Amino acid sequence: MRFFVSALVSFLALANNVFAKSGTGDSVLVVIDPSLKKEDYSKFFGGLEERGYQLTFRGPRDAHPPVEQYGIPGFSHVILFTPETKSYASDITPQSLVGLLSENTNLLVTLSTKQTPLSSLSAEFSLIPPPPGTPLISHHPARSEPATVIPIPVSESPLLTPGTSPVWFSGVPHAFGNSPYLVPILRATSESFAADSLDDSGADALVDASEKAGEGLWAGSHLGLVTGFQTLKNSRVVFAGGVEMFSDEYANKALPDGTPSGNEKFVKDITAWAFRETLALRIDNTTHHRAGEEVPPETYTTNDQIVYTAHISAYDPKTSSWKPYSGITDMQLEFTMLDPHIRIALPPVAGEPGKYQVQFRAPDRHGVFKFVVDWRRKGYPLLQTSTTVPVVPPRHDQYPRFLSAAWPYYAGAISTSVGFFLFSALWLAGDVEGKKKKGLKTE
Amino acid sequence: MAAPKTSKASVASETSVALSAMWKSYIQNTPDRLKLVDAFLVFIMFSGIMQFAYCVLVTNFPFNAFLAGFASCVGQFVLTASLRAQVNPGNRSEFNDVSPERAFADFALGSIVLHFFVYNFLG
Repeated sequence: MRFFVSALVSFLALANNVFAKSGTGDSVLVVIDPSLKKEDYSKFFGGLEERGYQLTFRGPRDAHPPVEQYGIPGFSHVILFTPETKSYASDITPQSLVGLLSENTNLLVTLSTKQTPLSSLSAEFSLIPPPPGTPLISHHPARSEPATVIPIPVSESPLLTPGTSPVWFSGVPHAFGNSPYLVPILRATSESFAADSLDDSGADALVDASEKAGEGLWAGSHLGLVTGFQTLKNSRVVFAGGVEMFSDEYANKALPDGTPSGNEKFVKDITAWAFRETLALRIDNTTHHRAGEEVPPETYTTNDQIVYTAHISAYDPKTSSWKPYSGITDMQLEFTMLDPHIRIALPPVAGEPGKYQVQFRAPDRHGVFKFVVDWRRKGYPLLQTSTTVPVVPPRHDQYPRFLSAAWPYYAGAISTSVGFFLFSALWLAGDVEGKKKKGLKTE
Repeated sequence: MAAPKTSKASVASETSVALSAMWKSYIQNTPDRLKLVDAFLVFIMFSGIMQFAYCVLVTNFPFNAFLAGFASCVGQFVLTASLRAQVNPGNRSEFNDVSPERAFADFALGSIVLHFFVYNFLG
């Protein structure tokens, strides 16, 4: 009996580690349109639950459970499978969704040909939605599905597993604005275009637009289909152009050449990125001290040798823990007082995982400086840290003494003193002799 | 032709004659103590000139060191010159209330204070 109990306990403890939970929590709210059936997406939702997420389902007009209450988000992640919903309950508005992102909640948003609050939300993230009612159409490659169901090859990306097969897609494209925080994940094929009907009645308009150097050209591979956005608070939102991509039907559908589609793997990868399992980094701590010492001093002196150390870890979804990560090769440290006086590479230390260290000389200016690490890369979280330290000029007794250039002056001063002592010795000796002589004389 | 040469030669020789007469008179007529003071004065002057030449020709980099060394020489020269003036028997009429011992004591005290400041400033 005891053996069984202990075996059960240890099995449960070990089983916990198999789940790939996100570093930010595992409660997911799925807002699903009443017209969509949960069972059609069983592979997607089953995959999420298998990875350790707790899913809660509700419709867009249900008031309960709310996405946030009194400013506190109720869930760590929100999936919005509501591509055609135009009116929501009062707790889901574009403002509340943006507020969720500020509170470290991640979003997965699906769009469609209808104009919904979500498409105007995507415009806030510098994505340009297409004209209403223009799905993506492609007549290549030749296939039995209609022209709005398109197999899209998956290009290389640090977010995605390399070698993912092409994915089936049906929905709308979007164009990219100027934000540097956009992370394009899936782009349209170069033969695809967005038009409002399957017959080619709109072809003339397209040709005109392409001749006008691409103004208003909703065609080609500059269009995005699935795009991520990394906010400054390091929360992530993924905009997907269609909800059918997540369905079982597309996951099971074979590609025109007979191979299985990559939909299952693809949606797993994008949710892993969106829910901050993959490409999740953080700075654990930073320290600074003088070379040769261990503890940071109260103040640094100009021209000191300073050593700065940062420890960085990445989230490992397989073990649900943060492991030291030495893979950043282009981190920089800035030693800044209004302008960076020193900008130097912060390389990883070989042999110590997760530790990045550099030694440099403090500049010849005194003042209040900051150690600034500000690392921004597409798809990765912002790594930012700033430590303020004072740098003071040398005290009156910290300047170098006994300079070799000054030896003639030292010799002059010393010789004057020596000469004075010799002179007074001789003078007084002469005085004594004189007194003796005088004494003798008077006597 | 001969006249300028002899006058030049005579001018030159007159100057040298005057100088050697002055030198002889100095050696004979100056008391020994004053000669000691004069030797010290010459030494200090020489040291000061050397320091100034180094500063001007090579570098004035530790300027505080230059000032300290040069001031040491100049100050010591002034004190010693004033000692010589007060101790000279020929000046007895002017320095009636200052005995030679008092003059030497002033000189010694002034020099000690001067050297104290010099070593503090020398860095």
